[in-house]
Amino acid sequence: MAQMIANAIRQAGTNFVESLALFLPRMVTTLAIIIFGWLIAMLLRTIVRAVAGWLRINVAAERFGVAPLLKTADLPPADALLGAIVFWLVWLGFLLSGIDVLGFTSLQGLLASFWAFVPRLLFAVVILIIGFVVANFAWRATLLAAVNGRVPSPRLLSGAVRWLILILTGAMALEQIAVARTVVLTAFAIAFGALSLAVAIAFGIGGGGIAKRILEHQFPEQPRSSADEISHL
Amino acid sequence: MAQDSVLSDELLHHLMAVGQVDVLVGVPTLNNASTIRPVVRAVHQAFSRYFPRDRTLLINSDGGSDDGTPGMVRNASVDDTDTVTVSHTLRTMHRISTPYHGVPGKGNALRQIMTAAELTQARAVAVLNADVTGITPEGVAALVRPVRDQQFDYVAPVYQRHPLEGPLVTQLVRPLMRAAYGWQVREPVAPEFGCSNRFVTHCLEQDVWDSELGRVGIDLWVTGEALAKGFKSCQAGLSPHPATSTRTPFGELFGQVVDSAFACLERHAPYWLNRNGSEPMLLASPPPSAPVERPVVDGTRLTEAFAKDVENLQSVLEYILSGETLANLEALAAKQPERLRYPDALWVSTVYDVLLAYRAGVMRRDHIVQVLAPLYLGRTGSFLRQYATSPEAEIDEALENLCREFERSKPDLIQRWNSR
Repeated sequence: MAQMIANAIRQAGTNFVESLALFLPRMVTTLAIIIFGWLIAMLLRTIVRAVAGWLRINVAAERFGVAPLLKTADLPPADALLGAIVFWLVWLGFLLSGIDVLGFTSLQGLLASFWAFVPRLLFAVVILIIGFVVANFAWRATLLAAVNGRVPSPRLLSGAVRWLILILTGAMALEQIAVARTVVLTAFAIAFGALSLAVAIAFGIGGGGIAKRILEHQFPEQPRSSADEISHL
Repeated sequence: MAQDSVLSDELLHHLMAVGQVDVLVGVPTLNNASTIRPVVRAVHQAFSRYFPRDRTLLINSDGGSDDGTPGMVRNASVDDTDTVTVSHTLRTMHRISTPYHGVPGKGNALRQIMTAAELTQARAVAVLNADVTGITPEGVAALVRPVRDQQFDYVAPVYQRHPLEGPLVTQLVRPLMRAAYGWQVREPVAPEFGCSNRFVTHCLEQDVWDSELGRVGIDLWVTGEALAKGFKSCQAGLSPHPATSTRTPFGELFGQVVDSAFACLERHAPYWLNRNGSEPMLLASPPPSAPVERPVVDGTRLTEAFAKDVENLQSVLEYILSGETLANLEALAAKQPERLRYPDALWVSTVYDVLLAYRAGVMRRDHIVQVLAPLYLGRTGSFLRQYATSPEAEIDEALENLCREFERSKPDLIQRWNSR
């Protein structure tokens, strides 16, 4: 009995040593991959930031209205954000490659899934960037047109336009990366439908007078505003 | 080469039949049936009264009118025009009405007129506005004579009008152009002007014609080009400022004029960045002395929305205006509309900040220009109310002070322009 226990312990010890002998090189390789990946990711981040700086990405972000949105969301400037995205994508790739080397059965295929996910993630990021740009452009254009056209509540109107586009963009991005696809789509459809219905009912019931005033203001028989009453040239 | 694309074969044949001319008057038109007859009449009277020995040509460049404008030009009765003339022309007065090709806009019409002037080697050219009712033979002659008799290359008009009229000119374009170009030109946006064949040839060689500036801001560009390229320029008085029969909505007009002014300044920057102060421009002939009416304008209505506009646009203004200008503007907006006084210095810094933002392209340029519109209305309303009952001399002095303020702040503008 004692002999059997001793054999089992010896066997377990032998197995442990053999496993350790097999695992340690993998662990070292994993660590090497992760450290090497971190260095590569850092290097790429520096390069991307330098290229973005050279391309004046921050100026473009200011121009297209992305910068203020990043600031509001407590995110870094556009060039730093691009660098960070590249850093995390590359390092995460190396990290998963390293974990894959360890040979854990439960983590098998994680790397393949990650690389399959990356294009969708990038596409979602592109959708978000375009959405930010379009939303900001539409916001500013609506605000300026409303102010100069003497439309009531220009900030409310332009803000609504911006958020509508941002919500639509966010839903598209989430749908692209397949995060809670059904929930997102259903929530968006319900929220959008409810909002439209609420606006229509509210405007129809309570805003008849306002609608009349707006239409009379927009299509007047006489000059549209005080600015049109004088000859400016 | 340029003539091939700008002049149709038919027009080319007409011009070859006409041959060389001494005086060419061009009239760009687009649906001006209601006003074109007096313009043609004034031109013919000018030809017969003031240039009877010259070979003359009236060319109408039409943008595709569907109200019969070209027919009216072609069929305008010469008898009609001669009934009131005191002298008769000794030469044939030629008259051509022709459509121009390309994108509708005054630029293409002017290009065709200038090309025809170059081909016919016209010594003096005058371009008139078909959309007015007050043009006189004396006005036409005033634009032609300095070129024909005194070898000037460019003649800008000076209208006899009340100083409270045309606030977009008096509050913005005139002082801005004067401070930048260093010449005291009173009407830089005028659609009428006179010029020499040398200036015509120079203009045709420029690359402006296919640009947006060429399409909607050619009047400003012509003035700026003459001043910036050192052409011998003067001014000539015209009859009281003619009222246009059609009026472009304010927003569209403001966008076109301000965008063109800023685009001109950008094109001519190498010239004006090296100029300081301003010089008066010779007045070849004064405007006819006739009483001018004080315009009935309510400045209060223009300032009513100012505070709300500044508040609404705050998030856009902070990208365009410097911190100091924005803070002063917000302090101004906090006052009651009836107590609003938009100071000259603040108005100048507003305009210069917007110009620099336009140059830097901090956002779409049409948005930058649109931001300035409500601020301009506030400034204009404030000025109109402040001087509503003042005598003309006092208003003229205030406008002169504004021009000087623009000039005083120019070194700072130059420094910031160069540092961007």
